Amino acid sequence: MNVLRAVLWKDLLSEWRSRDRLPAMLVFALLTVVVLRFSQPGASLAGNPPGAPGLLWVAYVFAAVLGMNRAFALELENEALAGLALVPVDRGWIFLGKAAANLLLLALAQVTTGLFFEILFDVDLLSVAAPFLGVALLGAVGLTAAGTLFAGISVRTRYREVMLPLLLFPLLVPLLVGAVQATAGLLGEGRAGPAALQLLAVYDGVFLIASFLLFEYVLDE
Amino acid sequence: MWHRPRGPDRVSAWAIEAEGLEKRFGPIAALQPLDLSVRAGTSLAVVGPNGAGKTTLLRLLAGLARPSAGRLQVGPADPDRRRRRAGVGYLGHATLLYPALSARENLVFTGRLHGVADPDARAAELLEAHGLTGFGDRRVSGFSRGMAQRVAIARALVHEPPLLLLDEPFTGLDPDAADALAARLAGLHAGGRTVVLVTHGLGRATAFAERVVVLRRGTLAVDMARGDAEPRAFEQTLRATLGPPS
Repeated sequence: MNVLRAVLWKDLLSEWRSRDRLPAMLVFALLTVVVLRFSQPGASLAGNPPGAPGLLWVAYVFAAVLGMNRAFALELENEALAGLALVPVDRGWIFLGKAAANLLLLALAQVTTGLFFEILFDVDLLSVAAPFLGVALLGAVGLTAAGTLFAGISVRTRYREVMLPLLLFPLLVPLLVGAVQATAGLLGEGRAGPAALQLLAVYDGVFLIASFLLFEYVLDE
Repeated sequence: MWHRPRGPDRVSAWAIEAEGLEKRFGPIAALQPLDLSVRAGTSLAVVGPNGAGKTTLLRLLAGLARPSAGRLQVGPADPDRRRRRAGVGYLGHATLLYPALSARENLVFTGRLHGVADPDARAAELLEAHGLTGFGDRRVSGFSRGMAQRVAIARALVHEPPLLLLDEPFTGLDPDAADALAARLAGLHAGGRTVVLVTHGLGRATAFAERVVVLRRGTLAVDMARGDAEPRAFEQTLRATLGPPS
């Protein structure tokens, strides 16, 4: 747990000082929302426009991938990754620390993008704010669990900026199906379907446990 | 969480035994099958030209890379890799520091990773020992290479490891700082630590180490202890093996 806290503290402090990730994530997510909004045919999207939940999650995924790629780029400078790899505890705690930092940054990007999305797409997210935050959190946990693992795997590859989405996107399909269905349920009926929530919870659990165990080998050369 | 052991036993047990140790990167053999036995408390210098496999050997000893073949035991016989990592103080080609953090924050962070009881006090102690007291709260990004190297050396010592693995630790240091580091390494070795020093400089190697191995193209070309020959013959043999500087 000390290692988790130490890595979380280090990542957030580095981000606070360098502002390397969050501004880029926000700009990218907001730009995606704008582009998607103006790609919709017809001027009015009032009510609950079809496809809106999917578009929102596309913006979230793009922002998450951008942030997670940069999360490990910070470890490459001065070969700091070697220092992390020498921790005398399970390296899974490093994974949890980095995943927690990624989760916090993604959550900030999600809230900001969600508000922007509400205005631009004329959807009523605020009336279901609490359950929507729950769904967004469940989705973000899965995104960061899988993303942090694969960012760690791809960090030493030559084309890591390309490798991460190539490895990650196919594995995100179940998570995105659950997240989009749950969000659509909230916007349409005011409640998320239990099947979608179960899918998200199972995905989160599987990737948190698997990533914790696999990270021991991810940091080996 | 696993807690590292303390006391003299930690120091006495850290020997190195390698049999047929080999490391390949695809078709390239960075290290040919190599046998190496280093008693606990030895100061060993590994010298050789560029591409000889020195850094690869050091990373294998640190547990940062896995051997392609052969057997390697570093420290006490224990299958738990975490215990091995606890005893290793490693300094690589780069400083392993975070530029956005201050020198003190880097040391405190490392202390927390290694479960040091009072990382703040340990960081202050190391900053003073390395002549960095007035620079502790400055960000590493603003440091010269020599200053950053001093912080990096302090970083490798945060958890008082019984085995020190140092890759070109004199890089970037001015002569006074290099001499001070050499004296500090001698002190750490005198305290019972096993020290493995990778260097290009034969002078530093023979001045510091009681045993020198020369690597060439991934093979062990010479393995000599200081007592094996007269001091002059010792250095001449090593110099002859290394060949003219490239």
